Amino acid sequence: MIKIDALTVQFGGIKPLDALNAEFTAPICGLIGPNGAGKTTLLNVLSGFVTPVKGTIWLNDSRLLGLSPRRRVELGLRRTFQQELVVDELTAAENIQAIADHVSANSADARREIGAAIDFVGLGARRQTRGRQLNLFERRMVEVAKTLIGRPKVILMDEPGAGLNEAETERLRRLLADIPSAFEAQLVLIDHDADLIAAVCMETLVLDFGKRLAMGPTRAVLDDPVVRRAYLGRE
Amino acid sequence: MREIANAGVIPMTGPVEPEISPTLRAAAIVVVVGVVSGIIALTSGGYWLSNFTQAYCMTLAVLGCALLYGQLGLVSLCQWALVGVGAWVSLRVYHYIHPPFFVTILSGGIGATVIGVIWGLPALRMRGLYLALVTLMLAGAFQVLVAVISFPVGGPGFLGQVGASGNDRINMARPIFASSDTSYFLFVALITLLCIFLVEIHRRSKPGRAWALIRKNEQMAAAAGIRIVFYKAWAFALSGFIAGVGGALLAGLFGQLDQTAFPTTTSIVIFIGMLLGGFEVWLGAFLGGILTRFVPALLIDLNVNTNAGFMIFGAALLFALRDPLGLGGQLTLLAERLYLKFQGKRAS
Repeated sequence: MIKIDALTVQFGGIKPLDALNAEFTAPICGLIGPNGAGKTTLLNVLSGFVTPVKGTIWLNDSRLLGLSPRRRVELGLRRTFQQELVVDELTAAENIQAIADHVSANSADARREIGAAIDFVGLGARRQTRGRQLNLFERRMVEVAKTLIGRPKVILMDEPGAGLNEAETERLRRLLADIPSAFEAQLVLIDHDADLIAAVCMETLVLDFGKRLAMGPTRAVLDDPVVRRAYLGRE
Repeated sequence: MREIANAGVIPMTGPVEPEISPTLRAAAIVVVVGVVSGIIALTSGGYWLSNFTQAYCMTLAVLGCALLYGQLGLVSLCQWALVGVGAWVSLRVYHYIHPPFFVTILSGGIGATVIGVIWGLPALRMRGLYLALVTLMLAGAFQVLVAVISFPVGGPGFLGQVGASGNDRINMARPIFASSDTSYFLFVALITLLCIFLVEIHRRSKPGRAWALIRKNEQMAAAAGIRIVFYKAWAFALSGFIAGVGGALLAGLFGQLDQTAFPTTTSIVIFIGMLLGGFEVWLGAFLGGILTRFVPALLIDLNVNTNAGFMIFGAALLFALRDPLGLGGQLTLLAERLYLKFQGKRAS
């Protein structure tokens, strides 16, 4: 569970996040908003890459602000980035092992977790394939698998479906929907694809110019005329 | 985590890249270094044997340089100065306590490790051109420092200097089993081989994977729980250690060194040698190191001004820029393709 209180981020005269309050309680939560709304900034604050000027963030019972990115990882926070970041020279398994090296309790746990993550994303047959030989969908799957290592508590995914075609997005949708029950982790999903958000997210936060525009059950939020006007561009 | 029962299993398709086993790769390293060294030992003597021994010491410097650039994308232009640090420390330790040669080598490596980590501190904040310039200036500072303090030659005090006549200079003794030029060359080849394995083991284990993630994206690496500062410092330490070992071996080759042996420009030549040889595979460092010494030695042998070497390296660099794999990378790729083709034929 993530709780955000009066979070403000300021870069010079710009406030990408302005006194934001939100609480992510559902197993899968969405985070949407137009370009520049502050979505990625919020993820960067949660990951420890951006320091806010005001506010607090709670990850379950722990205060996040002031902790190093590494300490946040130890608390169970995982994330993916907009751009897929699979290392070309490493195999799919090695890319995941690189995470397990630092978050798994021991080598036996690491082996088990890597195997479970690879099986979950369906990369079993490609585990020894170098990153440079994986297609975009497979690379995205490696990125997802990396977040499943080391008993994650909260997984932040920044546009995991970027660049995928309709069939691949459908596969991704099924996969994401299963993560909370399979790994006992909460998923916070940023995506521009309103259909993907509607399909998998139980509740959704809408940001606009760094402020909270709406938050609640996804269907209700997406049907909100204010949201439709600001984000979807139609009522 | 509960049992996963085909939660999101999606069958993947596509060609699986054939792999060469780590054992075979290790055997290839031993065979290549062994055969090349064997040929050199059997066919060379005097001038060329000395130059190839120096070339192997340079290989160690190139190996450290390739580790930093290939694994972390960090440009270090102070590798030859680190060789000098290793040489200075090993000579100092030798003249102070006359330890076994292996301890002398180790002391040179450790000395350069410490300095390598200190010199690597700027890398925690900067990279690219700025890091290159800072490390180049450090190499320049070492050149100035060593011009003032020179290398220990068995005299009294910390600096270990002797009087103006220089008659009391003492040479560092080589190990008994490597007292001749040929046996010392083979000894240096063995140490080079061990250092190549040291780097390869790092590249293919936890530190190598951490370096790969850091090189790809530091934020991503941090979000994966990787201690960026620690692993960068580790890379500088390893790179410094290998260079320091090279310096100790160089001191063993000549017995004593003077301040003209470690010019700043050689660090640049080492970087160019790394680019020519290739920084992604061990063979690149091996060939790059040999080239950086072989070309000047050949020019001297042909009575040509050694500055022509810079022109040759500059021209070769134009080709290297078009092919980032370098000579070693291309040869490795060719060997792998031939091997896998042969294996494929055998399987069919």
